[in-house]
Formats: sequence, structure tokens, C-alpha cells
Amino acid sequence: MMRRIIGKRHLGVVAAFMALATAAGCAGGTAGTATTETVETVETVEATGGEAAAPTELTEPVTISFLSWATEAVMRPLVDKFEEQNPNITVEFSWAPPVTEYIQALQTRMSAGNPPTVFMMAAENRTQLMQSGAVIDLTDQPFMANISEASKKAYSDDSGIYAVATNSWGGGILYNVDLLNEAGCTVPFPTWDDFVDCAHKLEALGVTPYLDSISEIPVMVSAMLGRRNVELGGNMDEQIFNDHTLTFEEAWTPVLERYQSLVDEGILSSASAGLSNDQVIQEFQAGRVAMMSTGSWQPGSIRSAAPDLNFSFTAVPGTNPGEGYWGGAVGPGYAISSAANDQERAAALRFVEFLQSPEAVEHDNLTQGSITTTLDYEPIVDDSLTELAADVRANNFYLPMVSWPRAQDILQTTATANLQRMVTGAITPQEAAASLDAELARVG
Amino acid sequence: MALSRVSPVDEVTIESNDSMTVAAQPGFRARLRAARDLGNSAVTWPFALPILAVFVFLYLWPLARTLYFSFTDYSGWSTDVNFVGLANYVRVFGDPAMLQGLAFTLLFAFATTVLITCLAIPLALLLNRAFIGRTFVRSMFFFPAVPSAAILGLVWGFILNPLGSGALNSLIGLFGGSPIPWLSDATLARVSLIAVAVWAQTGWHALLYLAYLQAIDSSYYEAAKIDGASNLQVFRSITLPLLAPAMSVSTLLLMTGGLRVFDMPFTLTGGGPGFATRTITQSIIQAGIARGDFGAASALSVMFLIAVGLLVFLQLRVARHLEDRIT
Repeated sequence: MMRRIIGKRHLGVVAAFMALATAAGCAGGTAGTATTETVETVETVEATGGEAAAPTELTEPVTISFLSWATEAVMRPLVDKFEEQNPNITVEFSWAPPVTEYIQALQTRMSAGNPPTVFMMAAENRTQLMQSGAVIDLTDQPFMANISEASKKAYSDDSGIYAVATNSWGGGILYNVDLLNEAGCTVPFPTWDDFVDCAHKLEALGVTPYLDSISEIPVMVSAMLGRRNVELGGNMDEQIFNDHTLTFEEAWTPVLERYQSLVDEGILSSASAGLSNDQVIQEFQAGRVAMMSTGSWQPGSIRSAAPDLNFSFTAVPGTNPGEGYWGGAVGPGYAISSAANDQERAAALRFVEFLQSPEAVEHDNLTQGSITTTLDYEPIVDDSLTELAADVRANNFYLPMVSWPRAQDILQTTATANLQRMVTGAITPQEAAASLDAELARVG
Repeated sequence: MALSRVSPVDEVTIESNDSMTVAAQPGFRARLRAARDLGNSAVTWPFALPILAVFVFLYLWPLARTLYFSFTDYSGWSTDVNFVGLANYVRVFGDPAMLQGLAFTLLFAFATTVLITCLAIPLALLLNRAFIGRTFVRSMFFFPAVPSAAILGLVWGFILNPLGSGALNSLIGLFGGSPIPWLSDATLARVSLIAVAVWAQTGWHALLYLAYLQAIDSSYYEAAKIDGASNLQVFRSITLPLLAPAMSVSTLLLMTGGLRVFDMPFTLTGGGPGFATRTITQSIIQAGIARGDFGAASALSVMFLIAVGLLVFLQLRVARHLEDRIT
């Protein structure tokens, strides 16, 4: 027994020593690293403005790293083509699936002081990336003239534009053409009341008229908020976040009341609160549901799973004719790390320039079905997306999370959770809207 | 538990070469043993170094970093780290989602621990009996523990689909019943999640109890039978006391597993409806990764670690107390 006690004592002393040493080393090391790298970051950011605009000649072979969120099967042909055109540049390709895993992978590499030279900036990480000075300013690059205004706006702040997005997605009401014809509905719906009338006609046919997944803010709500944004002057979120002349409660309540009316009238089931998007899609593909709200990424998979299904998209109608609106957002943009040296930065700029060229954008359009938005290429889209694509390219879409200048993730979580509570009758639309004001006040 | 004691005064008689008897001073024997242990330690420590290294780099270091980050505004995107004192801890307490997550996590951990323990022991007793196909039945009960909890969550999501076309609701529909909102009603979602967790883990814990059951000497049962003890008396006086160590192990595993549960609730309900089935781990991951708020996520982790430590400590004390009472 004594032997065990002595052993434990030794172990305890050593473990305590190691723990203290580790803790001290860790804290010291981190602090030291932080100080050093902070200075580097500041220097880089200060140097960024001038250097990014002035192209550097590549004087020697250079290797850049690229963290993509499209798979290697999709991106490899483009990388090979680029390397063929630029024999002195090698692109080290790596991939992480969007969105959470991608952000985690990027965050880990940045925390370790090893950021990829080129990576994706998305709605979910744009604020942190721009505020931390982790990316270079691309405002003065010649290729920015080919980028849509919505894309530039999505990835910019007062100091510059920090990413190049070449596509956007849109979303609205996906409907079963045959079922709506059978019910005698007129599409596009001139007004909201026409949409409700159509839903009742479908109900009379014994079909579930409309179904949503509220695992996130439904596209229908985003589109209605887009219309509301237009009504409020087009700067609804600026008024809420910066000017403080408007609250979420004032701006969102009418929209949520209208959405809740679908539940009250028996058009939308409260089961939506517990459904995944896949489950709703399966109902639609099986012909049990006539309408749902979703995005432009969906037609490809539906055509594979249900080749005979006749479907199309239409805008979410407004109160008056001609007020239909789409949900949607700019796709992820290519950004360049501010930690890259001059040679890497020059090579990265050339790579990003290539990725927005008609050749690369066409590849994205045809392999991914993306609605590309660069000015020198006209995308080919699924028949169901013709109307939607035209409006997306005209920048007529809205997504709250992209429009919010800060606290996107926590507000999205709050909005989703409270929409679920609203449709299940736990809270009113006004309370759901007000919960966003409370959350914004809490996080600042 | 009885501990062996060492005599406070060690008196050793050593016979020297010249036949002189030496009365050793008090403690001499202990020091002799200590010197021998030190020699043994010198030999054994190098063998322990690899696991110590693993412990330091995979546990202590991350723990120390988490503690450090909990006092900073570290975002995970920038190395510009500033000390913010206890601000992260204050912020965490003001987050309603976190508080609801804490409530459901505790409910989940306690409910699964109690229910699984109550079901696994009778199941183990049944599986300990001789019957045709016993091995197959044991395998069947063990099977739910094989797939990952995330996959089970996805599969059960389709079974508990709240629409009429969901697997369970279709079955209910065959008998004329209406669809039940399994995952879209807050209370039912909590109940469903706990039920799935109980289904998934009961078989595994029953096999744990089975292993302990098979280690019980059959002579106890034979003696009880000769004495005319009833089945209930045998269970209460022999089986249950001898299963007490297994209960300590099983409930400890269930409690710690329940407190850090993430994958099954995340895939089955996503934490909804509302925040009804949100767990603490989900809050930590969401704050740290999705929100880039490592400081708050670290503060939450530190508080959760302390809370789990306290709960497990209390549970062990209670289990030890019950074990002593039963035995």
C-alpha cells in the first residue's frame, strides 16, 4: 500500500509540474504568438492597399494553396487548365465540404498560422475575415469590372472589396405544374390572395397544398422580407442595425403574420417545425405536396429522382400585382490571404482572375448548375429557373443573413428557433420578431 | 472500502555479521521501502512516458488553452487576442439558448441514466437464462450500439417523421389514428429523443450487466435455493448487491455520455423545435465554429467541465454509498 502511495505522490508531483509547465508554456506561447502575429497582420493590412492594386511580376516558380468547397472532381479540370496556362505557378488543391466543415477547416488553418493562399469567403465568415484583416483588398483589380454589383456589395465594407463571387442562388415557390393546372391555378400568382386561393383549391383535390422545412429561415420568409425591404426603402437592415430607426419587431411582424396565416388557415402544417429539407423534397417528388419553397440548387436532384415530374419555380407573391420577390444570396467568393508574400499574392491574383474568366465560369455553370453572374458570360439554366435566373442576375433577391451586417449566425439561430415556436403556436409572430431585437441587444 | 494500514512504528531487528542485534530506528523500514520504490519508479516511469505525453498534449494542453481563451476575445480568425476578464462568462449566462440547452442536457442525462439502468438489469437477467437462440438475441440487443449515433438519428428522423407519410405515423394510420407530431412538438420531441437514446444504449448496458452476472458464483444461488428463498429474495439479497459495482460503472458511463451528448439530438431534431432539444455541446460548437466566438465557447466549456466534474463526483459518492448499503 505504501508503495502505491509513494508512486501516486511521485505521479502527482510530476503531473502537477507538467500541467503547470504546459499551462504556463501554452499561455506564454500563445501570448507571444499573438503579439508577433498581430504586428505582422497590421503590417500586412497596411501594406495591402497599395500592393494589391499594383501587379507583381512573377520572377520565379511559385506554389499557392487553394482551399475549395467544390470537390476536387469539379475543380481539378480548372486547376489543371490554369497550371497549363501558367507553367510557373503550382496550385496545391485541398477541399472541405461546405459550410460548417469548410469554416472549421479554414479557421483551423488560420489559427495555426498556415492559411491557404486562396480560399472561399461566405456569408458565414465574411465579417470575421474582413474585420480581422485576413484577406487582401481586391477593389482595384481590373477583373472586378466583370463582377456583379450584388457580389461586390456582399463582400465589401467601407474599406474595400475582399472577395470575388461569380455566382448567386435564388429561391421561390417550387410547384408541381400538373397539380396546379388540375386545380385551375394561375401561375405566376398575381397576388398573395391568389396564392392562398390556389392552396385551398389544391386542398380540395386532396393534396397537401404547401409544405416547408423550418430547419432554417424558409426561402418564402426570406422572399417576403425582401419585398418588405423594398417597401421600407431598400435599407431595412441598415435602419435596424446602424441607424436604430427601425426594429425587427416593426419590420418583421407583418411578414411573419402573413406566414403564420398559412398555418392558421390549414395550408401549412405545424409539422414543418420538425421536418428536414430532404423530407419535404421527398413529399414533393412523390406528388403528395404541390408547392414548397426552396432554392435554385434543387432542380438537378429532383430531375434525377423523379424524371417525370413536371415542376417549375415562381416568385413569392406580394400584396399587389407585380410585387413578387425571390429569396437568394450571392455565392461564396474567392479571397486571397493577407499572409501571402508578394510572389504568392501575384500568383493568387492571376488564379482568381482565371476563376472569373468565361472559361472557368462556364465550367461552374455547366457542372454545378450555378446561376453565374459575371458580366461576360450568359449562363445556361434549367427550364424551371429561367424566370428566377433573370431576376437573380438583375440582383432582385434577398436573404436576411447576408444583408445583416453582423451577428448573422446567432440571429439566424434565434430566428429559426422562434419561427419553429411560432408555427407550433408557442409564441405569436410579434413575439418571434421581437426576439430578434432582444438577441441583437444582447450580442451588441 | 477497507484500506490496509501500515504500522506507525516500524521496528526491525537486523542481525549483523558479528551477531550483534540492532534495533532499527522508527521509520527505517518505511524509508527502506521508499528507496526500493524509487528504484522501481525509475524503471517504470519511462514506460509511462508515452501515455503521459498523450495525456499532456491531448488533454492538459487543450484544457489549458481553453481556460486561457475563456478570458479573451479570441475569434479563431485573428491572432489578435485581447484579455476581457470575465466578460465571456457573464455573456454565457445571459444566453437563453444556452440556459435551455443546459436544462435539456440535464434532463436527457438523468432520464437516460435512470431508464436504461431500470431496463438493462432485467434484460440482462433474461439474457442470462438458457433458451434457444440466446446468442442471436444477445447480438440483436447489442446491435443498436454499433452504428454511430448520428446515423441512428437520421434513420429515426424518417421513422418519427411528423407527417402522415412517416413510418410510425403510417402504422398508426393503418389503425385509423391521426399523425402524431413526434418531432415538431416540444414535449414529444424531448420524449422521442430520450426514447431513441434508451433504445440505442439499453442493449449495450445489458451486456455489461450480463458480464457481471456471469461472474457471480453459482453456489450463492444454490445455497439460497436450499434455504427456500423466493426469486425476489434472491434478486434483492444476492444479484442486486453483487451487481452494485456494475451499476456504478454503467451509470457513470451513462451520465458522462448523456451530459456531452451532441450527435443524436443534432441529427434527429437539430435542437428544435425552438430550443427544446438543444444541448450544451451544440451551443459550444455553434459558438466556437459557426459564430467565431471562441472566447464565449471556451467559457461555456470551462463551466460545463466544472459542472460535469461536480455531477460525476456526486454521482460516484452516491453510488459508493448505495454500494456500501446494498453489500
